[in-house]
Amino acid sequence: MELTVDKRWDLIDKISKQTVKFKKYKSTLKEVIGELTVKPLTGIPIAIAVLYGFWSVFSSFAGFFTDGFLVKLFDEHWLPWIQGAFPGGLHNWFYNLMVDVGHIQNGALVPSNSCFESFGALTSGLFVPFGVVLPAIFIFYLMMAVLEDVGYLPRLAVLVDTVLHKIGLHGYAIVPTILGFGCNVPAVTATRILETRKQRFLMMTLLGIFIPCGAQLGIMQEVIPEYMGLIILYLLFGYFVTGFILNKVFPGKTPEILIDVPPYQKPLTRNVMTKVWVRLSGFLKIAVPFVILGCLIVGVMYLTGTMDWLANLFGPIFTHWFGVPKETVGPLVAAFMRKDLAVAQLSAIEMTKYQMVTSVVLVSIYFPCLATFAMILKEGGKELLGALAVLVASTFIYGGLIHLIWILLGVA
Amino acid sequence: MDKWTIGKIYFGILGIVALAFGIADLLVTAGGSSFSLGLLEIPNDMFRGGWGGLVMLFAGLFYLSGLSGIKNLSEIHQFSKVVMGSILIWVVAGCDIFAMITGSIPGEEAWFNTLEGFFGTYAPPYPPAILLLPFSLAVIYYIKKGRLNE
Repeated sequence: MELTVDKRWDLIDKISKQTVKFKKYKSTLKEVIGELTVKPLTGIPIAIAVLYGFWSVFSSFAGFFTDGFLVKLFDEHWLPWIQGAFPGGLHNWFYNLMVDVGHIQNGALVPSNSCFESFGALTSGLFVPFGVVLPAIFIFYLMMAVLEDVGYLPRLAVLVDTVLHKIGLHGYAIVPTILGFGCNVPAVTATRILETRKQRFLMMTLLGIFIPCGAQLGIMQEVIPEYMGLIILYLLFGYFVTGFILNKVFPGKTPEILIDVPPYQKPLTRNVMTKVWVRLSGFLKIAVPFVILGCLIVGVMYLTGTMDWLANLFGPIFTHWFGVPKETVGPLVAAFMRKDLAVAQLSAIEMTKYQMVTSVVLVSIYFPCLATFAMILKEGGKELLGALAVLVASTFIYGGLIHLIWILLGVA
Repeated sequence: MDKWTIGKIYFGILGIVALAFGIADLLVTAGGSSFSLGLLEIPNDMFRGGWGGLVMLFAGLFYLSGLSGIKNLSEIHQFSKVVMGSILIWVVAGCDIFAMITGSIPGEEAWFNTLEGFFGTYAPPYPPAILLLPFSLAVIYYIKKGRLNE
């Protein structure tokens, strides 16, 4: 006997009525709170509160270790000890590279009194990754893992889906974006969750240009905390405007997605700690050698006069187009190695508040750090050339635009 | 008057106070100088006063929207908004307390703070969220009561 489709459905109804008991479903508090975090009217205020908690804990924790203990350890104990114990002196090139370049005071070369200024591989090269970046990155990844395991991140993805579609991405692009605030290297790998080549290109470009990594945020929090809000505002504005333009200009598909939202659950300590350890160890393997290498290369460039030559070459563009001192060329070159190192260098240059904001934004957008560059090359291949073209154009336009805003406000 | 009606009045008052504190936070931040009165201190920095004030304002709105309309507090969808209002206060107060703890341990010159300095950090005045924290905990009683009724 063969049944039509309608008859089959009737039969299914009959069987289910006889075998299944239907009751009125009563939602639990956990489920209803889950719904509240996804609906825009209630979900956006909750997202604002979650991000507030995230940044508050981040800055308190990082400040506790860095300002409370590690600055004292490095500046008051490690630096004076190594300045005395290392052979040579301020006029020895090897000492300059490894320990301290010194600085000019009343016409005389004097030793540095902080690891931010010394720029030696064994001083700044160790202080930046272990003294400043490590606490910041640890707490960042810890909170990120907790939010993931609690089940909040998929809800955030649903919440921002509409906004991210405007720039050619979808809700899950929030994962590489937030990861990028920790380190751009795993964030570039996380772009694999996006479906099309266009989406991956957009995401990698935006990550490389507009998302400051945790190391950079940690240094910014340490040396220029008062400008952080303004700088991040500029970067996020650039993220959306550039994303919107790129989405219009570049061909390709931006498909819709179905997001599976899991119920809220208590995070497992073991899972959270494993995630933190995997991300942290990956970061340390990349960061520490690059910071030390960065210190050495920047030191060699200063000692050989290459930095002065570059400063003179690009000086007119920097002073007239971007409105920043020509001395910022040095940190921008260093930014190719490590952006955190570059922000630390910027803090030692005399600038107005507005020049400092422009300089830090430029350091963030002008080029991804070497490690991210290598990862984009590995993951994107051909997309890298396109990303570089966007990067040069957006740095030039965006840097000039910020200078123009300062001029219009009458502060530049 | 049953316990849910008492709860409705209680969280209504708490919602109005949280809303008022949120608005005061934002106004003080916009004004540029901090405000102190008895046990209360409203910071004027953009982060704690501005962003934190906005979260307090949302907490007040959650409380009030949970009580508005014809539905009563025992209805789960309305009650969840009241719970969310309390959670937002816990987020802000928790961050304030964590900042106090991290600020109280290291010393200015020495490695660790003096005993006097350590305890001094926890002395009043307090920001609005910390003052509202004990009152917001009442929601735990209602969550437990709701579970017993199920």
